Amino acid sequence: MASWTERRSTGSWRAWNKTVDEKVLTRNFGVEGLFRIEVYRRQNGYSAVEKALKNMTPAAVLDEVKKASLRGRGGAGFPAGVKWGFVPQSIPKPRYLCVNADEGEPGTFKDRYLMNHNPHLLLEGTIIASYAVGIHTAFIYIRGEYEAVALRLEAAIAEACQNGYLGKNILGTGFDLEVAVYRGAGAYICGEETALLESLEGKRGHPRLKPPFPASVGLFQCPTVINNVETLSNIPFIIRNGADWFLKKGLPKDGGTRIFGVSGMVKRPGIYELPLGTKLRTIIFDHAGGMKEGKQLKAVIPGGMSAPILTADEIDLPMDFDSLAAAGSMLGSAAIIVIDRETSILDVLKSVSKFYSHESCGQCTPCRVGTSWINKIVKRLARGEGEQDDLDAIIRLASNIKGKTLCPFGDAAALPILSICLKFRQELEGYLPHA
Amino acid sequence: MPKIYIDNRIVEAAEGLSLLRAAETAGIHIPHFCYHPAFPPEGSCRMCLVEIEGLPKLELACSTLVKEGLKVRTMSPRVVEARKGVLEFLLAEHPLDCPICDKAGECKLQDYFEEYGLFRSQFKEMKEKREKKFGLGRNLILDRERCILCTRCVRFLNEITKTEDAGILNRGIHSEVGIFESDFIDNDYSGNLAQICPVGAITDSDFRFKTRVWFLESKNSICPLCGRGCNITVDSHPGHARALRTRRVYRVQARYNPEINSFWICDYGRYGYAYLDEGREDRLVWRKGDRETRLSWDKAAQILIEKIRSLVLRGKNSRIGVVLHTNLTNEEFFLAGRLFRKGLGVGKLLLADPPPGKKDGLLLTSDRTANRRGFEELGLSAQAADPEALSGLDLLLVFGHYLASAGSQADLKGALEKIETKALFSSHKSGLDELFDFIIPVPVIAEKHGTVTNIDGRVQTFAPCLDLEGDGLPEWRVLLDLAKELQVDRKYFSPLTSLEAVYRALQKEIPFFK
Repeated sequence: MASWTERRSTGSWRAWNKTVDEKVLTRNFGVEGLFRIEVYRRQNGYSAVEKALKNMTPAAVLDEVKKASLRGRGGAGFPAGVKWGFVPQSIPKPRYLCVNADEGEPGTFKDRYLMNHNPHLLLEGTIIASYAVGIHTAFIYIRGEYEAVALRLEAAIAEACQNGYLGKNILGTGFDLEVAVYRGAGAYICGEETALLESLEGKRGHPRLKPPFPASVGLFQCPTVINNVETLSNIPFIIRNGADWFLKKGLPKDGGTRIFGVSGMVKRPGIYELPLGTKLRTIIFDHAGGMKEGKQLKAVIPGGMSAPILTADEIDLPMDFDSLAAAGSMLGSAAIIVIDRETSILDVLKSVSKFYSHESCGQCTPCRVGTSWINKIVKRLARGEGEQDDLDAIIRLASNIKGKTLCPFGDAAALPILSICLKFRQELEGYLPHA
Repeated sequence: MPKIYIDNRIVEAAEGLSLLRAAETAGIHIPHFCYHPAFPPEGSCRMCLVEIEGLPKLELACSTLVKEGLKVRTMSPRVVEARKGVLEFLLAEHPLDCPICDKAGECKLQDYFEEYGLFRSQFKEMKEKREKKFGLGRNLILDRERCILCTRCVRFLNEITKTEDAGILNRGIHSEVGIFESDFIDNDYSGNLAQICPVGAITDSDFRFKTRVWFLESKNSICPLCGRGCNITVDSHPGHARALRTRRVYRVQARYNPEINSFWICDYGRYGYAYLDEGREDRLVWRKGDRETRLSWDKAAQILIEKIRSLVLRGKNSRIGVVLHTNLTNEEFFLAGRLFRKGLGVGKLLLADPPPGKKDGLLLTSDRTANRRGFEELGLSAQAADPEALSGLDLLLVFGHYLASAGSQADLKGALEKIETKALFSSHKSGLDELFDFIIPVPVIAEKHGTVTNIDGRVQTFAPCLDLEGDGLPEWRVLLDLAKELQVDRKYFSPLTSLEAVYRALQKEIPFFK
């Protein structure tokens, strides 16, 4: 069942595998047939489930994850342990876990690698998380395009059931857990957690008004935990090696490693698992092999398309949540898109505005009309029919979207557009008629 | 109750109330489109954003709940900027066809646009082309270019009628309200959609292009078309200088009453207003053989009183019959009972009502009159009127035209020919007209004062919202005049000079109305 994703991926991680020894999640990616349960178990797989379920109380697991300062890997960076702690335990309703595998952020492909190479790691994390919060039903919401990965996950779930890691009375501890894979239908917005819940309920993927937050009123109106694939994949290591070990891998407020997905004009695009706080320059020039022959760096989008753009002068930044936030950008999903000087910034702006205009769900006014309006202006600019005040108009409109929408999509659309227009204004002005 | 500060004013508001509602109680209007008090907050129009001290972002007034000490600013420069931003977005794709839009004059988008003065559009692109007259349902026409996607209509169909006929189709800027191919909106409450639409997206084919709303005079009334007693407004046209007015009433809309009909009325009540203008009796007529004489009520009353008096003096009380209907008010039933039953001891007290309809489980009741409960609570009981029941009478007073459907025209004619004196007090023309000697026009509920009791026993007072045109007079006045002239129970009737006095007497005597 070797998919094309697997065949294509081997090159980049192997190259890196020889040089860096700090990796956690991708450590065993080179092991042949890791997606099979017997191979996974030989690599110490499912030992964390045994440890957690047999030797630890749910509260102890929760404490350990809280201590590890594991921040969400989906984009917002909310501490996972704190999120679990919000789930009320006294309500007589079922609780659910939703694994957010709707990896739709342009430039991001880390979860696909994780699930494809090591589906059992995700399942192990899912079991431990469910145990900690007292959940007996978990859903993996995977984007529709990941068909091969979804099949692989389903095969892994079947294997785990056969081996007693899922289903009734797991490992004889009396803990039950069912896991189901649900494939999305291709909307970016369904990666937003409340839209994901709506979609999972069989409705239109429209984000919900918060509060109430999913931790108290989530899937089918029940308390729900929603975690990213990479977040959950870290859990088995925290349980196996302890929170202190995990913290040492990263920063004091930001434990563990991070999988950086590098794409664009670099010699070796791919995923790179590195400690949080690694310099952006190091990632691009050392790990990803630098710019392609004859290309020069112009700009970097450091955290998936919704992260504000950085210029070539700004890449001496440590890649962690706080440093990037201080620099006016964000770590997001840690997907690094490298743009070279030959790429027109108008083309970048065009693809960004087109994407958000196309993917806006249309529920709230600023996002629905704003993204489409900006896209119409940018398209006109690209046709050479720009007018003097168009750039100011884009900036004004994006500012009117920012912070005023129902869900984070509005900011995700407005921030990169604003940063491109402000940082590359001179180049964009070159497309206006007077030049 | 928690105290909050809205624009530096201290407002006391109940726990669990939204800021928007709390502000409204203090007389501060926070602009909004998608929020409707009948539904949980939707938060999609983003118009009600306000500034809350201590929070970095603007927050929704419709979904943020009152909390002790909250400091809210509804008119700060940031809030006004945000509102302008949202309005600009809404107007960018809006056709701005107010001159031909029926909502103009009562459109929220238009009002806010005027208030925030966005008169110079910055939008240079092509507007999206959309369907301008999509048949959404019975009487409903959807203009998708005007639609601002507040989803009030969708939520109404999901939460009130629970028919779930409509939804949002497509995505982003292409989003539009749509219905399933085979699922035309056809329920008894669909007329409410045009009323709750904050813009001119859903218009009512019954009202479309008929008049402009600023010509209409809106007055409160109660719907008399079933026993629910829904609160309504009747919008009438006072007429133009040089144009002939073909009708007075252009539409009936629901009026909020949390105890009875909430924000809604049924389509039967909404579209059934033609009776207010069509087929009305306006001339008081005395018919003798082939001769028709128009006369005043005073004259007609004299003749009638003579006839009644001579029967009473001859001890032929039992030869007098009275037919009532349950669209009369509590006061009128009370007077009728007192005068005919106790005072004159008439032989027959009958009831002729429109035939019952189907109730729909929400508002519409099977009774198709306003005051059956009042009739029962006043202790009146009456046999149903039909041609057979009319036998053995010398004088008949009929209130209402519903007797016309109590039997075939021939049977009615046969029965009525045997009666010497017949007076019809009716608001509408009917087949009965030719069978009676006296035809006295009376008002409908929208034209008189009084109280009615709804199916749940709630007594509601109403005042006229239309003038009674022609020679007519209200039934309570008829009854008081008859009682006075016949000198029945003088001690009792003489203090009853006004409707209020009648109601006070009624309250004193009948415990239900206390």
